[in-house]
Amino acid sequence: MRLRGSALFLSFTILSAAPRFTFSATSENGNPWPTILSSIGLVPSPPAGAGIVVVPRGANWPVAEWQARVEQGTILVLEGASPLANAFGFKPNPQAKNVAAQSIEDLRSPELRIIWERPVDTVAFAIPANAQVFARERHQQIPLLAGYRRGAGAVLWMAVGPGERGYERFPYLPQALTDLGLDPPFRSGRLWVFFDSAYRSRVDLDYFARRWRAAGMGALHVAAWHYWERGAQNDEYLRQLIDACHRNAIQVYAWLELPHVSEQFWDGHPEWREKTAALQDARLDWRKLVNLTNRGAFQAVSQGVNDLVNRFDWDGVNLAELYFESLEGVDNPARLTPMNDDVRAEFRGVAGFDPLELFNAQSPRFWGKNAEGLKRFLDFRADLARRQQTEWIAQLENIRKTKTHLDLVLTHIDDRFDPSMREKLGADATRVLPLLGTHDFTFLIEDPATIWNLGPQRYPQIASRYAPLTPAQEKLAIDVNVVERYQDVYPTKLQTGAELFQLVHTAALAFPRVALYFENSIGKQDLSLLSSSAALVDKVDQSASKWVIDSKRGAGVPWNVPAQVDGKSWPFASDTTVWLPKGSHTIERAAQPAPLRVLDFNGDLRTAKATASGAEFSYQSGARAMAVLEKKPVKLEIDGLPATPEMAGNVLLLPKGQHLVAVE
Amino acid sequence: MPKLVLITTIAALALGQAAAPEPSYQDLEQAYQALRAKDYDLAIAQFQKALAKLPDRPSIRKDLAYTFLKVGENEAARDQFAEAMKLDPADVNVALEYGFLCYETKQQVNARRVFDRLRKNNATAAQAFENVDRPLREGIARWQAALASQPDNFSGHEELALLAEQREELGLAAEHFEKAWRLRPARRDLLVSLGRAWMQMDRPEEAMAALLAVSRTEEPRIAEQARDLLPQRYPYVYEFERALALDVSNIPLRRELAYLLLQLNQQSQAEAQFQALIEKAPDDLQSTAQLGLMKLARGDKEGALPLLNRVLARGDPALVERVRAALHPPEPKTELKVRGQASITEAKDMAAKSLEKGYLKDALKYLTIAHEGDPADYEVMLKLGWANNMLKDDREAVKWFGEAARSPDAKISAEAAKAYRNLASTLDRFRTTVWVFPTFSTRWHDLFAYAQVKTELRVPGWFVHPYLSVRFTGDSHGAITPGAGLAPQYLSENAATLGIGLATNTWHRATAWVEAGEQMRYRSSLTDTSRMTPDYRGGVTYTRGLGHVMAQGSHGFFGETNDDAVYVSRFDKDTLFYTQNRVGYTFREMEAWGGLHGQIYWNGNLTADVKRQYWANTFETGPGLRFRFERLPSFLFSVNALRGTYVVNQGNPRGANFRDFRVGVWYAFTR
Repeated sequence: MRLRGSALFLSFTILSAAPRFTFSATSENGNPWPTILSSIGLVPSPPAGAGIVVVPRGANWPVAEWQARVEQGTILVLEGASPLANAFGFKPNPQAKNVAAQSIEDLRSPELRIIWERPVDTVAFAIPANAQVFARERHQQIPLLAGYRRGAGAVLWMAVGPGERGYERFPYLPQALTDLGLDPPFRSGRLWVFFDSAYRSRVDLDYFARRWRAAGMGALHVAAWHYWERGAQNDEYLRQLIDACHRNAIQVYAWLELPHVSEQFWDGHPEWREKTAALQDARLDWRKLVNLTNRGAFQAVSQGVNDLVNRFDWDGVNLAELYFESLEGVDNPARLTPMNDDVRAEFRGVAGFDPLELFNAQSPRFWGKNAEGLKRFLDFRADLARRQQTEWIAQLENIRKTKTHLDLVLTHIDDRFDPSMREKLGADATRVLPLLGTHDFTFLIEDPATIWNLGPQRYPQIASRYAPLTPAQEKLAIDVNVVERYQDVYPTKLQTGAELFQLVHTAALAFPRVALYFENSIGKQDLSLLSSSAALVDKVDQSASKWVIDSKRGAGVPWNVPAQVDGKSWPFASDTTVWLPKGSHTIERAAQPAPLRVLDFNGDLRTAKATASGAEFSYQSGARAMAVLEKKPVKLEIDGLPATPEMAGNVLLLPKGQHLVAVE
Repeated sequence: MPKLVLITTIAALALGQAAAPEPSYQDLEQAYQALRAKDYDLAIAQFQKALAKLPDRPSIRKDLAYTFLKVGENEAARDQFAEAMKLDPADVNVALEYGFLCYETKQQVNARRVFDRLRKNNATAAQAFENVDRPLREGIARWQAALASQPDNFSGHEELALLAEQREELGLAAEHFEKAWRLRPARRDLLVSLGRAWMQMDRPEEAMAALLAVSRTEEPRIAEQARDLLPQRYPYVYEFERALALDVSNIPLRRELAYLLLQLNQQSQAEAQFQALIEKAPDDLQSTAQLGLMKLARGDKEGALPLLNRVLARGDPALVERVRAALHPPEPKTELKVRGQASITEAKDMAAKSLEKGYLKDALKYLTIAHEGDPADYEVMLKLGWANNMLKDDREAVKWFGEAARSPDAKISAEAAKAYRNLASTLDRFRTTVWVFPTFSTRWHDLFAYAQVKTELRVPGWFVHPYLSVRFTGDSHGAITPGAGLAPQYLSENAATLGIGLATNTWHRATAWVEAGEQMRYRSSLTDTSRMTPDYRGGVTYTRGLGHVMAQGSHGFFGETNDDAVYVSRFDKDTLFYTQNRVGYTFREMEAWGGLHGQIYWNGNLTADVKRQYWANTFETGPGLRFRFERLPSFLFSVNALRGTYVVNQGNPRGANFRDFRVGVWYAFTR
C-alpha cells in the first residue's frame, strides 16, 4: 500500500511538474503555427494532451472547458476576437478607432524597428488589467500581443495572426510564450558560432563562456587575424578565452580570412598587396587583401599561420572565404580582384592578353564586347581559387601532423543555389568538394548576401544542391548569417526571434552542422531559445512515469531527478538536463544518481551507461570532445587503453574521432 | 576575520556619527558586493537603483558603465560614459572611454569628434583620432581616384558619400549620395542619407524635399526612417512640389499631392498632377478614374471618356461602380473619396458629438485624427482652435485659428481670423485694451462717458501683470442743483486718471487689481478745487455667465452676474460693492440684419458701500435689451428701463425711489 501510494505520488509529481513539449495547432494550408512552435523544439500533438493549444480562428470552443484547461497548465493561444478571447478578457473596444498597424514596438526591445511589409487594419481591443503587453502599435500604442498567467497555465492573445511565414509580424512571439511560463523544451549543444574579439575586448570571458554554452554553442570560431602578431596582452586575452571556453566544454577554432592577413601585415608589406581592376590596393570593406599568388607573400603568410596555430591551444582551424572579390562582379572594377602583377602575368601567359584590358572600356578586349575573353579570365580565376584552397589545406594538414587533434573547416560561399557567386567571387564548390574524398575537413557553406532576404526554406534547397556533389554528407555544414540585410526585409533588418529560430531549426534539419555568423549580432533576448531551436526531436511520448524521446542528433531533455535511460542507470545528466544520444530512448526516474555524472558533453554521444564506480560511453567528434565531469576522474581508459586525463577545470578533453571511454 | 569585523564596525560607527549614510549607500554597497562575486546582473540593478537616487554622481555612472562592459552591453556602457562626461567634462579618461565605445558601437562621427577635441593635449586621443580618421581620409582619396576614371561607378559614389559623412565632410557626402541615388533611383534609402546630410548642412528646404519624397515611398522601412526626421506637421503644397522636383518618378508622392490639391479646391493644379501621374503610372486606375471624373465634372466629356472607359474595362468592381454611377447618374454624382475618407468623416462626427456633450479632450482627439486624415480640412482646423481654446490651451488654439484663417471658405476664414485676432492679442507680451461706454440717462438728462485705455505687460508664467492706465469719467452737464439752497451735485468726476497698477490673472472668474495714480480734473468743483489729486484704488471683480450668453452661434436662456468690490481713496476712502445681474433670453443671430444678435433680460442691480452714503446704496430692477451686429463685433448696444430705490436715505436730498431709462453703447477692443 505504501509502495502504491509512492508510485501514485511520483506520477502526480512528474505530471504536475512536466515541462511542455507539445503543441496542438491545425496544420491547414497556410497556418504558420506548426512552423513557429516546431522551430523552438516543440512537437505536434492532439489537443487533448498538448501543452500549448492554438485556437483556430473562428472556432467556437466551450469556454468553461478551456478555462479549466488553462488553470491546469495549458497555454492557450488566441487570435483576434472570439467568444473564447472574450471570456479571457480580450474584447474589441467599440469606442476606439481602428488602427492600420505597420510600425510595431516590442516592449522587450523598444528600440528595435519592427516594420510590417503591409499595414494590417485591426480593431483596438480592451485587454485585462493583469495582462502583460508584449507588443503594440508604435504610434498609437494599441496592444497587439498580450497575455497573462492563470493558474498553472496562461493565455497568449494577439490582435492579428502571426502572418503566413510566422515571423513577419511578431518577432518575439516565442519569447512571449516563455514569459508566460513556457520553459525551453529540448536542448542542443552543437551550434558553431563565429566570434570577433574586437566586440568583446572587455567582457568577463568566464561569464560569456557560460552564456554561450547555455545557448547551445559547441564551438567558437575566433577571428584569428587579431592575433597574427605576437603581443603579450593580446595573446593573454586569447589564452584566457580558449581556457574559459574549454572549461565550459566549448571548442575553439582559429578562423582565418585569407587573403586578409592582418592590419600590421598589410601596412608592413605594400609590395604584396592585392590590386583591384582599378589598380588600387585591394582594401575592400574591412578586409585588406594580400597577393597569395606571390611566392614571397605565400611563404611569409605560411610561417605566420604556423606560428598562429601552434601558439595557442586551438581545437581546429577554419579556412574561410579564400577566393576573390566582389559581390558586384565585373560591373565594378574598383572592387574586382585579383589583378596583381603575378596573376596578370600568369594569365597573360596562358591567355595571351593582360586581364586588365577586360576592364578598359576603350580596349577591344573590354568585357562588354568580349564574352569569350571574360569567360576565360573567370575560369582562370575560379581555378586559381581552387588551387589556393588546395594549397592552404595542404599547409594546414602539415600542421596537423604535429597537432593531430586539430579539426579543419573550409568555409565556402554557396554557388549552387546562387550560381552568380562563381562569376562574382571565383567560388566554385564543384571544384572544391571532391577534396572531401581525400582530405578530412568540414565543408561549411556560407549563404551569400544576395539571398539573405529569402526565408528559412532556402536551406533545404541549398542542401539538395550539394547532396549529389559529395557522398560525405556528414561533412557538410551551413552558415546562417545573422546580420543586417541590405535588402528591403521585414519585419526586422537583422534576423531575430521567430525568424532566427526558424532559420536555425530549418538549417539544422537540412545539415548536420549549423554555424552562426556571428556571436555579437545574436540578440541577447534570443539566447534562451537558441539551443532549443537547434534541437531536433521528432517524437515525444509523455506518460505518467516515463518519457519516450526520439531525436535526430541527440538532445538535452529537462529532467531534475536521477534518471535511467532505456532501463539503465544513466550517467549523462546534470541537475536540470539528461543528455540523450540520437534515436529513440526512454527516460524514467532512477532510484539513485549514477556514481559519476557527466554534466555536459561536447561530442556526438553514441552509447552510455553507468558502471559501479563510473561511466562508460562511446562518442564521435570532429575535434577534441569535451566531457564536463561532476568530479575529477581517478581512472581513464580510452579504447581499452589506460590514458592520462587531460583536464581543463572539470572538463575532460578527449581525442577527436570515434572512441570508447571508461572513466571512474 | 575579527579584524575585518572591527574595521567594518568602526567604519559604520564613524559613518553613523559623522553623517547619515547617503541614500544610495546600501545600493552601492550591494552593487560592489555583487561585482566582487561576478554577479553582474545584480550589480547593474543595484547601480541603477543608486543612480535613481544620485543621478548626478559621475563615479556611479562610470562603475555602472564598466559593469556593462563586463557583460558586453557596450551601447549601455557608452551611454553611461556619455552621461558621466556631461557631469564631469574635465575627466579625460571618461571622454576617451566614451570615444572608444562610440567607435565600437558604430558611432564613428561621435568618436572622431571626441578624439579631435582631446587630441591636442592627449597622445592617446591623438592616436585614436588618427586611427579613426586615416582610413576615412584614405578611403575618400581612393574612391575619388576611382571615380575620376569611372564617374558612373555607383558603389564608388556610395562608399565615398558614407566615408565623407563619417568624416563630417557633409558637402562631399551630400554630393555623392545624390549622385549615387541618381544612378540608382530605386535606392531611396540614399535619399534619406542625402536628407540627413542636408539637414546637418542647414539646408532645411532641400532636406525636407528629400525626406518628404522618401516618406511617401512604398518601402515602409525607409519611409519610416524619413518620417522620423521630418517635422510633425503636415507638409505644405510647395514642399510637395519641391520633393517632386527632386524625385520626379515618385508615384505615391505625386498621388498625395494631387489629392491634397483636390481637397484645397485647386482643381486645375490637381488635374495637372493626376495627368502627370497616369502618364508615369498608366496602371493607376484610381487616379485615372479621378482624372476622368474631374474632366467630366467640368464638361470635358471628350477628355474624360477614354479615361473612364479604361477604368470600366480594367478597374476593380468598386471603382467601376463609381465610374458607372458618374457616367449614368441615378443620383447626383459624388466625388471619389480619398483613401480613408470614411474614417475621417467618422472622426468628424465623433468630434461634433463630443463637443456637443462637452467631452473636450475626446473632441480634441477626434479632431486630431480628422486633421491627420485630411490635413486640408479648414473646418476641422477651426474646431481644433475652439476645442483648444475651451481647454485653455490658447497658444495651440491660436495656431489652429491662424491655419483656419487661410481657408478658401469665407465664413470659416472670417471666424478663424476673428478668433485669431482676439486670442493672439491675449498672448502678446503687451496688451492694450480700450473701452468706451457713453450712456444717456433720462433720470439725469445727462450724457455720461466712461472710458479707459489700459496697457498690460503679460509675462508668461506670471500670475500678476503690471499695467498703465488712463481712465476718463465725465458728463455733459458737469453738475446739477438738487434744490434751492443746496450745493450743486457733481454726477461724475469730470477727470482723467493716470495710473499704474497691478492686476492678477483671472482665477475662478475673479480678478484682483490695485492702482495708484493721479487724477486730473478738467472741471473743478466747489468742494474740491484742486486740479490734481492723488488717486488710489483697488478691487476684486467677478463675472459669471450661465446658459446661452451672447456668443457667436449661441441662443437660448441665459443668466449673468458682474460683481465688483472697489476701494477708492478719492471717495473718502470708501469701499463700494456693485452687483449687476441679468436673466433673460438670447435670440438667434439674424443673418439678414447684418448678423443682428440680441438679448432681452431683466436687471437686478444692487450697490452698497462701507460708509453708508445714500448715493452708493441703491437697488435697481427692470427690463433691458442688448444687441450687437456680428459684423461690428466691438459694439454692444443696450437699453434699460429701471425702477430704483435708495436703501439708505440719510442725507438723501431726493425721493427714495426713482426711474431711469438708460441707453448706452459699449465699444471695446484689444490689441
